[in-house]
Amino acid sequence: MQKQSSSETLPNVLKLTVPSDIGVQSQSERMIDAMIASCAEKTYSETTIGDVVRGASISRTTFYKRFPDKRSCFDAALDHGIELVASTAAASRSSDDSPPEAVRKAAGAVLELLASQPDLARLLAVEAVAVDPAISGRYRALLLPAVEGLWNGDRPTEPRTSPSLAFGRGQLLIFNQVAAGRAEDLPDLLPEVVYLALAPFAGHQEALQQSRQVDEDSQPQPATPS
Amino acid sequence: MSSEPEDLRKWRLPRGRHGLPREIVTRSQRERLLAAVVRVIAAKGYESTTVADILEEAGVGRESFYELFDGKRQCMLTAHSLLVDDLETRVKAAYTGSGPWEDRLRDGLAVTLQWFASSPDIGRFTLVELSAIGPASLERFQADFTRFVNLMEEGRGEEVPRPELPQATSLAVSATLACVYEEVVHERTAELPSLLPELTFELLVPFVGEEAARAQEQRAAAIE
Repeated sequence: MQKQSSSETLPNVLKLTVPSDIGVQSQSERMIDAMIASCAEKTYSETTIGDVVRGASISRTTFYKRFPDKRSCFDAALDHGIELVASTAAASRSSDDSPPEAVRKAAGAVLELLASQPDLARLLAVEAVAVDPAISGRYRALLLPAVEGLWNGDRPTEPRTSPSLAFGRGQLLIFNQVAAGRAEDLPDLLPEVVYLALAPFAGHQEALQQSRQVDEDSQPQPATPS
Repeated sequence: MSSEPEDLRKWRLPRGRHGLPREIVTRSQRERLLAAVVRVIAAKGYESTTVADILEEAGVGRESFYELFDGKRQCMLTAHSLLVDDLETRVKAAYTGSGPWEDRLRDGLAVTLQWFASSPDIGRFTLVELSAIGPASLERFQADFTRFVNLMEEGRGEEVPRPELPQATSLAVSATLACVYEEVVHERTAELPSLLPELTFELLVPFVGEEAARAQEQRAAAIE
């Protein structure tokens, strides 16, 4: 994961003037970043507190002030990742989007996010599942009500197929892609992810239609000057 | 661990001198160890399992173990391969052959669900605990996954329309696996066969459309 905190690049003199609680904040962020990087490099089970301490350039004492053990640091990294995914999804759409539009935008934004941060993608999609097999339940509890809520009232019938199963399939597709070291190609899965997210509520035909739309969204894009 | 210690006793050869050729004794020790590693790891988890646990469960001595395996990890991976081979053989037998593709797919799926339902240990061992061995588990998982994607592709007749979703076959294998994984984690593997109609529908929809898939779902429900 990219270092988000800019404090490292500040001259030392400036660092001293930063309020102490901001220092604590950025130390936590650095520990989380170091945990994410180390898990990507050598897995959670091979990661030691020493790796996190070195990666974050902090002391062991600082680590233990913030986290009782390795697992709680991992859990904090996981929370950070989940929040980032949730806020990215929320920011991607506007309130007047139709449910299918909202799904396309949110899924696209999240896949782009994970592609741009492969270490985080690995933590969320691969390591978390290895560390805690029940993590899928937590993802699902966050995601399904959000997708279902998009339809609020527009949906005339009960889900046609199991949203929970659709979630599991999407998770496996993403898992496979990330586990194969191809997190940067995650946006390629957008048609399938859109299909899976919509099929339970809108049915096969509509879901297929929307997944086609993904290709049309991305194809005629004129080259934007960079 | 095993709830039926009596069954395990049956695995045990008589102590002391028995006139059996060494080769047979070794083979049966190997089989006992492989059965034991599945049970113990499913019960205790890979991390907490020790070679001593496996030996105790199998009733095999430490020296014999190390003649057969490098250690816990290799013993586990050997058992994993045997199990996945076994599943593949069974699915292949049900899925490949003549008859309408939709029927064969349903039969292959039924075999898969029954296989995982036959023992709560095998799903936990092959799907959940595999990840505990670290990065190598990912390659193994992907190789297994690809085998079933290929198997499904190979058995798909010319008459079946190409699905519009590029990864429809991966989606189908994912559906099965996600479903099994979920039931394993919630310790409901015994109920897997009852999910056949719903899963048949899910697998078929991207290939044959909603109406035809619904018809197959109803047929699967009738068979059940």
